[in-house]
Amino acid sequence: MGDMDPGTLITMTTIIISGLGIVLGTLTPAIVEARTAVKAIEGMVRQPEVASDLRTTMIIAMALLESTAIYTLLVLLILIFANPLVARFFG
Amino acid sequence: MGVETQNVIRLFGDVWITNTVTSSWVMMTVIVIVAIIMVRRHPATLYMIIEFLTDMIADVMGEEAAITYFPFLGAMAIYVAVANSFGIVPGVIAPTRDLNTPLALAIVVFFAVHYYGIKQKGVVQYLKDTFSPIYLIILILPLEIIGQISRTFSLAMRLFGNILSGELVVAVVISLIPIIVPLPLVGLSMFTGMLQAYIFAVLATVYISTGVQETSD
Repeated sequence: MGDMDPGTLITMTTIIISGLGIVLGTLTPAIVEARTAVKAIEGMVRQPEVASDLRTTMIIAMALLESTAIYTLLVLLILIFANPLVARFFG
Repeated sequence: MGVETQNVIRLFGDVWITNTVTSSWVMMTVIVIVAIIMVRRHPATLYMIIEFLTDMIADVMGEEAAITYFPFLGAMAIYVAVANSFGIVPGVIAPTRDLNTPLALAIVVFFAVHYYGIKQKGVVQYLKDTFSPIYLIILILPLEIIGQISRTFSLAMRLFGNILSGELVVAVVISLIPIIVPLPLVGLSMFTGMLQAYIFAVLATVYISTGVQETSD
């Protein structure tokens, strides 16, 4: 790795981190959202009369949880398409 | 699908009007024209849409408040819903695909929360309610400011990220297999767009309702 130029090193690191990051960043929200859905459905089955309230709350909660995945995606998009470090070494 | 953000009209110096802005102008015209046609020809359909939106707001805030805040929140919901699915037209970019549009909408929501809160309760009472236990102001103030900024930011980012990722997935699949195969993904991205419009409107409703409600201490 010592004789590699910085541009290649940064590009390689970016690719590896992007692949890893999108997996880890979407895994957690997926699991947590699934738990939200399961709990909400259990509640709806037990008390069908509050189903519409539960649905609204569930969707809001899921949207808030999902924003962590969106943050991961944004950071990775910046890393891939607008990496400031690559611009410094190539531009 | 797969249209990039471009500068179209030069205002002055380095300030440009991008194609997302022009497409949102076209979109607004389309919404107004469709609304006029609906009022003339299909009032029942319009009534159904309004009923759905009022119910959505009433679920969070109650019937009376729903009618008060419907003009703002309903316009927000319709704008975002049409903007999200506007990218389906070939050669047209969805306005929400550019970060600037969701950010502008989120900032409008941010100011609307405080405007409605102050209008409902008066400046002094609103500030008193917001920084509720007054002896903890040193703790509450930074938390409140961070909370306000981060929720506005995440409102914009959520919409932008979802629409952008949906369109990128479709663009990647189209570049691999251009015929038939991307269709389910186009459907998925339209569904996501509708869901995100619903979430955007519901979250705006929740924020406004936390701004206007009376605290019970």
